[in-house]
Amino acid sequence: MSIYLDNQAAKPVDKRVVTEMLDYFNDKFANPASLHCDGDIATDILEKARKTVASFVNAPNSSDIIFTSGATESNNLALIGAANFYKRKGNHIIISEIEHISILNIAKYLEKEGFKVSRVPVDRFGIVRVDKLEKLITDKTILVSISMASNEVGSLQPIEEISKITSERKILFHSDAVASESVIPIDVQKVPIDLISLSANDVYGPRGVGALYIKKGVRLNPIIIGGGQERGFRSGSENIPGIVGFAKATEILKQEMESEAKRLKILRDRLIKQVLETIPKSHLNGHPEKRLPNNAHFRFDYIEGESLILTLKEHNIAAATGSACSSKTLEASHTLIAMGLLHEEAHGSLLISLGRTTQEKDIDKLLEILPDAVKRLRKLSPLTPPDLLKEYNEVKE
Amino acid sequence: MKSTQYSDKVLDHFRNPRNVGEIEDADGVGKVGNPVCGDLMWIYIKVGKNDKGEEIIDDIKFKTFGCGSAVSTSSMVTEMAKGMTLDKAYEISRQDVAEELDGLPPIKMHCSNLAADALKAAIDNYRTGATPEIEIATSCQLDVRVILGVDEFVGKGVYKEIPKNLEELRDKRIVVSDSGDESLELAIKLTEYTGRVIVVTSAKSIPGTVELRKKLKHSDIKILQQSEIIEIKGELDEVEKIVIHDFDEDEQYELFVDAVILLDYRG
Repeated sequence: MSIYLDNQAAKPVDKRVVTEMLDYFNDKFANPASLHCDGDIATDILEKARKTVASFVNAPNSSDIIFTSGATESNNLALIGAANFYKRKGNHIIISEIEHISILNIAKYLEKEGFKVSRVPVDRFGIVRVDKLEKLITDKTILVSISMASNEVGSLQPIEEISKITSERKILFHSDAVASESVIPIDVQKVPIDLISLSANDVYGPRGVGALYIKKGVRLNPIIIGGGQERGFRSGSENIPGIVGFAKATEILKQEMESEAKRLKILRDRLIKQVLETIPKSHLNGHPEKRLPNNAHFRFDYIEGESLILTLKEHNIAAATGSACSSKTLEASHTLIAMGLLHEEAHGSLLISLGRTTQEKDIDKLLEILPDAVKRLRKLSPLTPPDLLKEYNEVKE
Repeated sequence: MKSTQYSDKVLDHFRNPRNVGEIEDADGVGKVGNPVCGDLMWIYIKVGKNDKGEEIIDDIKFKTFGCGSAVSTSSMVTEMAKGMTLDKAYEISRQDVAEELDGLPPIKMHCSNLAADALKAAIDNYRTGATPEIEIATSCQLDVRVILGVDEFVGKGVYKEIPKNLEELRDKRIVVSDSGDESLELAIKLTEYTGRVIVVTSAKSIPGTVELRKKLKHSDIKILQQSEIIEIKGELDEVEKIVIHDFDEDEQYELFVDAVILLDYRG
């Protein structure tokens, strides 16, 4: 098993969650829609799980939670569902330049369907410019979708400010909470948000399950049509084991989030401090304070991120570069570009995301390997300036 | 617009250029060119008078050696100027010519759009009565450059002089166009206010005096060599992006920024 520092991409399922789920594959397997006793039991289990997940975001009613197959589906239901329901009211949707790829692509789809999409720019820290968002709002704006935090550089977004604007202007506000849900608490009674996408895996639950919080009174056209489950918002027999696991995961996290976030922040801060101190021409991407406590995002001049990941891989360290998708598309991360980085800079980035399994010794190991990995690649790079090379060679002797 | 994509109007003027030729007994001749970029442009004018007795351009002809947009802009400027008073014709800018042609690809704005300059040179030549000489622009990157959008964004992120209160640039993403040591010193100064300063320079290496070069090297300033800003963009009445032309790689790309400082911009 490698030193796993890619928790933004996937998290291990908590063992307590796995144990909880096991009962629901064959002992208690019935369909909640069935009228017999077993069906009734399944309904109870489902509704209990719904209540638990609702309390995770402090939703006033458990019926505000709709279970889905994951955050991508939740994003689809929120954006496409709201756009189609409210299109008579207006055709304008606002997202940001740094949304998760699922939001970006849903927005592109909606543009093809005739909706108008504006993308709010961000500042150099990757934080959405609220002043610009406000200017983009028109009387045709029906929905604003801004994630709670950047899934790449971890910058925390001004959700409270945005929610004030959207409430005043009576515009729906959707937020994708996946990047932040394991470390930042959500309270919809304190900060009014209309739609929130959640993923079970990102709270150390199973994959293939997610939820959409839908504020009471908000209407959506379903995107999956069938037997009318989940109050008609999302048809298809419920994934009971997955939903039970999701609920258990939120229950555990609710207890542990505060202390865990503190623990991760201490490890993360040490990592950032030491990397910036020991590696010349290294930079932190994103905001120094307003960032997820488990996220460190660096860039190193003169080298390319993928070769850095490969070097770390040789030392059994799992990390990410640019965006999780960068190796597939070969494109520089849209988030880093929107923050004002040049392509060459965006390509030299390294995302370290900590999680429940991360220990002090993992960070020690990374700090031991990383400076040499960067040095090795810089010695190969035609971009490295001669005086830095000289510096490297002198230290070696 | 793509860098290689011309409007129908540009193509029309390129295929059927108006007012081609020389005027043997011309009253004024303007010759401008840029050997580096490969464009040479000669404009001939014949001056007459209108009903009010003002001096007007009675006839105008041109000859151009250059690419498609060089030909089209020459043709267009002659069409625009014909019959105009000298004073009005003198006011025609590169931007006016480009607009009349429904726009030019940004990359073509700076090197090829010499037509307005040639017309001015012809009028100058008539007024001073000197023998026309080829006015050679010293470099593609500096003297002939036009940055699209500058006028639109002055006061909205574009600074043509050193901002009085640098505090307003705190934490901004700032691009400084290298126009000599003053601009480089400003860039270094700005690193006290923000972590993101970029210097765009046409130079092949780090510019400035020995001392400045040293300071630049040890700073976190990003230097884009052999590059120039060709366009400034923004949707919300504020600078949002710039288009940079890297003439070493001959490619263009966009960069998200908040402020652009052009201390020596005359375009």
